[in-house]
Amino acid sequence: MRPLLPSFMLPVLLLGLLATAAPAPSHAQGEPPALRTDHLYSRLVAEDDAVVPGESLRVGLWLRHDPEWHTYWRNPGDSGLPTRIELGVPPGFEAGPIQWPIPERLPVGPLVNFGYSHTIVLPIEIRVPADLDADSITIRARADWLVCRVECIPGEGEYNLVLPVAEEAAGDPRWAADFARADRLQPAPAVGRAALSFTAETVEIRLPAQTTNAGGTAGDTGSRPEPATDIDPQWLFFPVTPDVVSNAAEPRWLDTGEGLALVLPKNDYFVAEPARFEFLLARGETGKRFEARPVTGARGAAADGAGAAPVEAAGSAAGAGAPGAPRLPAAPGILLALGLAVLGGLALNLMPCVFPVLFLKAAGAIEAADDRGRLRRQGLYYTAGVVLSFIAVAGLLLALRASGEALGWGFQLQSPVFVAALVLLFFVLAMNFAGLLEFGGRLAGAGQRLTQGSSDRAAFFTGVLACLVASPCTAPFMGVALGVALTLSAPAALAIFAALGLGLALPILALGWVPGLARLLPRPGPWMQTFRQLLAFPLLLTVAWLMWVYGEQTSASAMSWLLAALVGVAFGLWLLRIHWRWPGYALLALCIALPLLRAPAPSAPAERAAGEAAAMHERWTPARLAQLRAAGEPVLVNMTAAWCITCLANERVALSSGVVRDALRARGVHYLKGDWTSRDPQITAYLESFGRSGVPLYVIYPADGGEPVVLPQLLTADMVRRAIEKI
Amino acid sequence: MTFHKTLGLALAFMLAAPPALAAEAQIGEPAPAFTLTGIDGRSVSLEDFAGQTVVLEWTNHQCPFVKKHYDGGNMQRQQAEATGKGVAWLVINSSAPGKQGHVTPEQARAIQAGWEAGQDAYLFDTDGEVGRAYGAKTTPHMYIIDADGVLRYNGAIDSIQSADVADIEKAEQFVEIALAELAAGEPVSRPLTRPYGCSVKY
Repeated sequence: MRPLLPSFMLPVLLLGLLATAAPAPSHAQGEPPALRTDHLYSRLVAEDDAVVPGESLRVGLWLRHDPEWHTYWRNPGDSGLPTRIELGVPPGFEAGPIQWPIPERLPVGPLVNFGYSHTIVLPIEIRVPADLDADSITIRARADWLVCRVECIPGEGEYNLVLPVAEEAAGDPRWAADFARADRLQPAPAVGRAALSFTAETVEIRLPAQTTNAGGTAGDTGSRPEPATDIDPQWLFFPVTPDVVSNAAEPRWLDTGEGLALVLPKNDYFVAEPARFEFLLARGETGKRFEARPVTGARGAAADGAGAAPVEAAGSAAGAGAPGAPRLPAAPGILLALGLAVLGGLALNLMPCVFPVLFLKAAGAIEAADDRGRLRRQGLYYTAGVVLSFIAVAGLLLALRASGEALGWGFQLQSPVFVAALVLLFFVLAMNFAGLLEFGGRLAGAGQRLTQGSSDRAAFFTGVLACLVASPCTAPFMGVALGVALTLSAPAALAIFAALGLGLALPILALGWVPGLARLLPRPGPWMQTFRQLLAFPLLLTVAWLMWVYGEQTSASAMSWLLAALVGVAFGLWLLRIHWRWPGYALLALCIALPLLRAPAPSAPAERAAGEAAAMHERWTPARLAQLRAAGEPVLVNMTAAWCITCLANERVALSSGVVRDALRARGVHYLKGDWTSRDPQITAYLESFGRSGVPLYVIYPADGGEPVVLPQLLTADMVRRAIEKI
Repeated sequence: MTFHKTLGLALAFMLAAPPALAAEAQIGEPAPAFTLTGIDGRSVSLEDFAGQTVVLEWTNHQCPFVKKHYDGGNMQRQQAEATGKGVAWLVINSSAPGKQGHVTPEQARAIQAGWEAGQDAYLFDTDGEVGRAYGAKTTPHMYIIDADGVLRYNGAIDSIQSADVADIEKAEQFVEIALAELAAGEPVSRPLTRPYGCSVKY
């Protein structure tokens, strides 16, 4: 219930009148001075200077905190106590609840509290009986609170307020500004009801659909419900109902397609699903109050595949120039993730590093096109090879994570040894494709089995090889699917990786099982030799790129040694070709074993950072980010890795472009870059706080501590510029 | 050189990474182990109390909520009743040096003696490692670990969140109830409650 008059108009008018007349004495109605307790002044105040029978009157507990000290909101957060007010009113009067203004978020170490600092009024509305027959009334109040800086002191006070009874009342100018501020800070009830759903670890809150219009649904007079059209992730979240969601965590925002949803970790003291959950969303002095009820049957956007299309996938399918400002990534459900994983696997076939391997298998298929039985059997072996290797890598990843390792997808490439092994592998493959190596002796067996695809074992290991070479080419699709995979139970996660493998193997599998498809293959002929040689070049390109990754992870001298080892491998293979068997084997063994066994230590981050000094970005550290955010500075965070093609493409196309550079400079945005090329548990933790298991991740933090916005995984310069300009 | 040998070699190298550890106390799970130094300079480990029910009490003698339960006699009464029944009662101080509630062993002895407290040991967790492993948020914050070392209670000392001594007798004493349930071989009816008080001064 609110006063019948617009609560701030009257005091403001009166203030103007009084300013021209005599200045108001400080204790006009014999008001006692404010009560001084530890670090706090308090008093009971009334909005008007008199009580009018039959109308309502607002009183309030007026609090002025010493600098740095605060008292608490109705939900105090991780510690603290709400301020309590007991009003004693004459018979016939009815006092309402405290009209809590929007609080401040008060972080204390790892905990977050909600409360007030500086000066605030906690208003309470009182209904005055129409048949009031008195000259004046006395309102009594008893209040207690906890006032804290870091240390806390409980306090209490008792107050009397005497007000004359009159036909008309005027606003009391002494408190007009404080009541006006408390009014501006009143959260307006939102239209519609939010929907709650729960997982083992999280609570998801779907906001009511944004198209809802403000209709005559208001039970309250004076506070018009507002549609939630302008809510965005920069609004702060305040749980009114305690013990349901984490107080400290910032919500992860999802775009469900039908509106926004927020995902929060459960509170440490979450005991049972609440029947009702109340919360505020606020930005500056504007706030909205929402009521949420659990959804029965459905499981929310994160589990409802069709409802919440992940924005990244949509962006990459529709091209990077998708319309509109950056939207929020949604966490897809398990079925959607499985589907995406199959699609992602399929897309992997087109990657420059995988395509040549696919050709190895296809070449076998071309020659076996007439033998349906063999085609099928080998397709199955190949699929088994791919799927089992994916499951093996995923199993290893999950096992390492279970033992506490901070790893994400792409973790293999964080090891320079593994990168060196890939360099050697791709180099030998390229030599073989180019026809520069005609293996002799025992090696010929392996080579021919692979190229001609005649044995089941070869088919299986071609599958293993395909998985191995696919690992650097994490397609954009896979970011979403694998992010979900790592948050799921182990069987579900393995199922997603298996689906990814299935997608990768699908083209070859289809050859044997889809009638007529094998017949569409071109006839075998001399062209195959030429095409094979052509494919050596994408392989060599992959070598060049991996070599650069290796150089980034280690040093220029280590990279040079690896290059020398490649020359040694080529020489060893040539020795074999001219039948100098033992020197050839010895040299090969040496050149392959040495780079793998004597892994150089990864270069220190500081060393790499020195090279970045001239660049426009700074190195990301949690401390630097916290420092900038505390100072209210806007920040762009880019989490990248040298082995992540998507990341490099985004940097080249969008982040390093003049458009983005100008936008960053114009807005004074700090650009922090985190490099996950080598393992970094702090970055892994940061990625996980956004529900990701891998790079890239782009986050924009607006100035003055607003909520961060996550950009899609495929960027355009324009999209980034718009996102920067929006903050 | 076959390709799968390269793969095998690469996987072998990847496995060489050392595992890290992360622990957070969960109801029904083994309670995080710890070894801390007490006011008498001796180290005390959780495993010293194997076979015994253990109560952990996080303290800060300057916190009004801790004072409420000691000034009102509630904490001492519960300590005496519990230890009388063979329960081990450990008081833990996680205040960092320079923060409120950080005391020397002599001061701690004087404070506990002044309150006539009856704990079995008063332990210093100055670096806050044990407090963080248990997720201790407030003083007081109470935990109960059963004879098998499993965490059975995590939360507030009682049901009325205030610093007012007068509220003690109106409140439900959660720790007392949980200890009685455990002694009777029953499951703890409210294993998780929100603790209240001052934040732990890590």
